[in-house]
Amino acid sequence: MYLADMDMPGMAHAKVLRSPFPHARIVSIDASAARALPGVVCVLTRDEVLADSTIDPYYGYVYRDVPIVAIDKVRHEGDIVAVVVAEDEETAEDALELIDVEYDELASVMDIDAAMAKGAIQVHEVFKPIAPELRPVEGTNICHHSTLAKGDIEQGFREADHIFEDSYSAPAVQHCALELHGCIASVGDDEITVWTNCQSPFPLRGELQRMFNKPARVIVPYVGGGFGSKSRDRLEAVVVAAAKLAGRPVRLLLTQEETFQTFIRPALTCTVRTGVKSDGTIVARHHRFAVDVGAYSISGARSANNTLKVATGPYRIPHVLVECDAVYTNKPPSAPYRGLPTTQHTMAYETQLDRIANELGLDPIELRMKNLLVEGDVHVTGDLLRSVHAKDCLEKVSSSLGPQLKGEAVASNGTIRGRGFSCSIKYTITPSEPTLATEAGVELQEDGLFEIRIGTVNMGQGVDTMAAAIGAEAVGVPIESVRILHSDTALVPQDHGTTASRATFHTGNAVLDAGTKLRAELLSTASDLLEEDEVRLELSAAGVAVAGSSGRSVSFVDIARHRGGSLLAKGECWVGGVYTDESGKEYPIASTFWTFGSVGAEVEVSRETGEIRVLRIAAAANVGKAVNPEQTKAQLEGGVTFDLGPSLFERLVWGDGGQLMTTTLMDYPLPTLHTMPEFHVDLLEFPYDQGPYGANGVGEMGGVMVPAAIINAVYDATGVLFHEVPLTPETVLAGLEATGA
Amino acid sequence: MQLELTLNGKTERREIAPHHTLLDVLRDDFNLKGTKGYCHSGVCGACTVLLDGKPISACIMLASQTQGKSITTVEGLAEGENLHPVQRAFVENFGLQCGYCTPGMLLLTVALLEENPEPSKEEIVDYLGGNICRCTGYANILKSVQAAAALVKEASL
Repeated sequence: MYLADMDMPGMAHAKVLRSPFPHARIVSIDASAARALPGVVCVLTRDEVLADSTIDPYYGYVYRDVPIVAIDKVRHEGDIVAVVVAEDEETAEDALELIDVEYDELASVMDIDAAMAKGAIQVHEVFKPIAPELRPVEGTNICHHSTLAKGDIEQGFREADHIFEDSYSAPAVQHCALELHGCIASVGDDEITVWTNCQSPFPLRGELQRMFNKPARVIVPYVGGGFGSKSRDRLEAVVVAAAKLAGRPVRLLLTQEETFQTFIRPALTCTVRTGVKSDGTIVARHHRFAVDVGAYSISGARSANNTLKVATGPYRIPHVLVECDAVYTNKPPSAPYRGLPTTQHTMAYETQLDRIANELGLDPIELRMKNLLVEGDVHVTGDLLRSVHAKDCLEKVSSSLGPQLKGEAVASNGTIRGRGFSCSIKYTITPSEPTLATEAGVELQEDGLFEIRIGTVNMGQGVDTMAAAIGAEAVGVPIESVRILHSDTALVPQDHGTTASRATFHTGNAVLDAGTKLRAELLSTASDLLEEDEVRLELSAAGVAVAGSSGRSVSFVDIARHRGGSLLAKGECWVGGVYTDESGKEYPIASTFWTFGSVGAEVEVSRETGEIRVLRIAAAANVGKAVNPEQTKAQLEGGVTFDLGPSLFERLVWGDGGQLMTTTLMDYPLPTLHTMPEFHVDLLEFPYDQGPYGANGVGEMGGVMVPAAIINAVYDATGVLFHEVPLTPETVLAGLEATGA
Repeated sequence: MQLELTLNGKTERREIAPHHTLLDVLRDDFNLKGTKGYCHSGVCGACTVLLDGKPISACIMLASQTQGKSITTVEGLAEGENLHPVQRAFVENFGLQCGYCTPGMLLLTVALLEENPEPSKEEIVDYLGGNICRCTGYANILKSVQAAAALVKEASL
């Protein structure tokens, strides 16, 4: 059952009036004709929102910059101006056309350069930061500027024998989760209830409670893919406000075109300057990047800031300076996107490494091996790295694919083949202070089965199986004895969100903790009932038995009855703070875990058409422990194919007027079975000391290295090194012609 | 208008709005929520159903065009608790993650194996290449279809 399959008694249907302009002041809104249309229940505009003194009209976790509906101006094409609630969707849609809005069009800034230009019009005149780490630059569109430094960057460049500098760009794309964004809200006298396909139900609940000054319950059914686009709310406050006004449950389901106007992966530009010794040792890296967060900084500024930690890649570099700008523009708001912007950083530093290898006459794999981080290295953040094995990952993909091909011709029609490699490091969201990030419950119930309660959202990544496997193992019962209850804020304990490869580590640890505690309770209770020492007791599917052949046992049903009907244990996963090594030395924790991996790509490039075919992809990641190997492999394969789209053809395009031109799948193709390469996926299992059974987060690792590996493979094939994606046939042909390759 | 059709093997009649698509009518009038929508423009394949045994996109066909015809949706595949061999193959081979594209993939596979019981890899890619899956990366879908061919063959022996 997905959200769109649900129905509520008395439910009305909402449709949204969206701005046709990327940037305009709203002069007036007249919705009287829409309200008069038979079948219309109500129309929500800025007037209704501002007239309700119990509502804070603005929301956002990072900046409180998103109005429920546009108040003073609209900031992107598709920005929400009004909401019609009607008896059915068709009536609501008809009523949209009866709303008269007068706009005063403003100049717009549609890309990073325009937004950062001196004197550029401001998307937000006033900054409203919430998150303490944010550093806006007043009077500009830069909503966050930050740096990360290690060593002395100038000294590093003085020590270098060669210095390389390159600039890169990647455009905006969309996630295209097949289940469309939607929400149902019901506002009672005492409580708000929201059914939504949001990936982060607990943060959403907190935000709704704050805005509407009322307790809220958030229920997330099965989610049909998220990939980050559903990681933060955009619709829920809108639908809650509409339901409050309507006085009955309201449902809003977006169309595919509307999702393109709701959340996108932001465009990114960066410049990488690297100093190396003649033998290939990297001594200095200056990495500057700017992220186009769009009209609202729902998560963009924080995502950008988080990737300072990984912008220089999985390499030992003594002198580092990373600089980040998050920039407001008049594009739709940006959302996380399966590893962003680690993907774009990896594309930059990994393709530059191949240029360095080529120009210094070094082998690209040898160059990486010389510089990759190893166990016990201290990362640029100051973190002590454990369970790295980045070199093992690279060796694995290298042996899977074999060596470079150097433009091997494969057919008489001018088709050539090449191979390219890339390595990366991925972080997870981590607060600096010790934080209880995730809780879980494991309960023995009346029927003798175990219910595992988690706040994590199931969107196909296999979180239920993971939690069931870990919970069953911790308690000591077969997996058939457990069932899962997830993502209903009234019934399960809190979790910070199903994002950033978090679930296996955070939820897994909390379930492991709860299961371990419950096992102890079970053994202690059985010990009392059987009058036997705990060490002589064994657990099975049926209950607890005395070891040996005595046949004495007590069933789980009896234990539950003895303990008043059920027995609950709560588990916790704490993150942040400091890590103390065996010698007592303390290190900061910038990321609760770091994931390392490699990808190798073999491509075929047509000199005639510029078309690239990705023939084979080898991927390897150190997963610590694969809780479910088939599912983990499938996550990596899924991530790889997902990122073939932005590597080869996906790109959102806005016209001169700031209107999105690529609104349907006709102009925005996605990877299909035809795009799929042959896969060689290897899971390396070097246990991580903090993970549940040694497991690490890996959900986003598959895709982040794909664009880099493909660009490097095309470089190997043609000798042309591209600095942008997607590598469409036009781009490739132009590149081949420009260099005479 | 009155619509009469054979739906998952049974004759059904409903009063429907003539401008509603087959996708809307299946989901809203017949309450068959297994058929999914995404692009609503006939591109992604999530809404694939079988019309007289042939796969079509329910989002771009008017329900009125199915007058007197036979429609199979994903709800028509299993017999009670017994999954169709194609469904079993997808479950056993991790052919799905979020499951949203799965009804379309299943029906397309049923149609493929009906036309071509022993498809090659290239024939599978061609036949299913129009349906989008965002989660699996397709490798396990390909594997599932190959396994389904073996299961269907076994079942027909």
